[in-house]
Amino acid sequence: MSVYPQLVSGVMSQFPIVKQRRMRTVVNAAADGSSIKLADPAGATVGWQLRYANLSDTELAALQQFFTAMEGSLNSFTFLDPVANLLAWSEDLTNAVWQAAPFLTLSGDAPDSLGGRNAWRLANSGEGAQTLTQVLNAPACYTYCFSVYAFSSQPVTIRLQLGSNSAQAALNSRWSRVQISGTGDATASSIEFGIELPAGATVNVFGPQVEAQPAPSAYKTGTTGGVYASARFRDDAFTLTSTDVNHHAATVNILYANSL
Amino acid sequence: MASFPSLKTSAVTQYPAAKAVKFQNQVVRFVDGTEQRYRDCAGPLRQWVIRLSELDETEMATLEQFLVSNQGSLGNFSFTDPWDKQTYSNCSFADDAMNLTSIEEMRGNTSVTVQENRAQP
Repeated sequence: MSVYPQLVSGVMSQFPIVKQRRMRTVVNAAADGSSIKLADPAGATVGWQLRYANLSDTELAALQQFFTAMEGSLNSFTFLDPVANLLAWSEDLTNAVWQAAPFLTLSGDAPDSLGGRNAWRLANSGEGAQTLTQVLNAPACYTYCFSVYAFSSQPVTIRLQLGSNSAQAALNSRWSRVQISGTGDATASSIEFGIELPAGATVNVFGPQVEAQPAPSAYKTGTTGGVYASARFRDDAFTLTSTDVNHHAATVNILYANSL
Repeated sequence: MASFPSLKTSAVTQYPAAKAVKFQNQVVRFVDGTEQRYRDCAGPLRQWVIRLSELDETEMATLEQFLVSNQGSLGNFSFTDPWDKQTYSNCSFADDAMNLTSIEEMRGNTSVTVQENRAQP
């Protein structure tokens, strides 16, 4: 699996980032101003313009080598959206993308930390720890940050999972954002993120989020996730500008199309 | 029916905001210079251009997700006119695409156009 390279700092790109989400609708416009619309999901595309500045020689070389290996727009690669939550269905924990352990009860429509009602109450009725996880088909060797808002009316310690790494987080009766950062198995092509509740614990959670960077940014809702398995360079040319010794700039356009 | 999402401030749009009301009339001109006009539609249709800046990532993601949920211009939703607070129940995105620019952390901008649809007879 070819994957778009992270920078040395562990991030995917730099600001500014321009993202275009384009759907496709076939419209039959009638003379009276009404219209009949048909969806064309296969025609949807997502594009990103990534502008890099002050890249080191090493970072520039990695980008150039990757562009050469992909032969411009010819070959596809896995791209992780730098401005999205990589987890799919972050506000529907009963969706099939989530794997809940059998003794874990999930109930939604609970008040969340942003004033909405998108939090979930997780209750572990089992005798042992129970987990709620989601697997991403993304390179495990990347730097990731998994974060989630959580609280519990009783003091409890939960465990956050990032691949084979885990971290404990003590919760109290106020919302707090707990997180874990790190990398997974260097050779794996998928990585699992999750929350583990001890026996008997009841915890409210909201906004699970995974990003390919060392620290969390503001919570981003999403149903599609941010892992694009067959993205491509939009252009066949890679243009760079060297502004100083060990300082380079480049702009990269990436395209993902449902139909490709 | 879904409603167009508001910002964290509860506002729907920011300045500069644009609104258009569009009629569809026909004119028949005669050789003597007179003309006859008639309505070619059941009533006016409205359109709002919503330009948003200084958005945080949560607000940007909410707007993007709303576009995805509506499959671009396909889906219908209700929109409350920020000028007169009247709610129009049959609206959609005018365009299938949305550009989201992240200038820096907690500082994004985007622009969308919402249009009122005419119900099928």
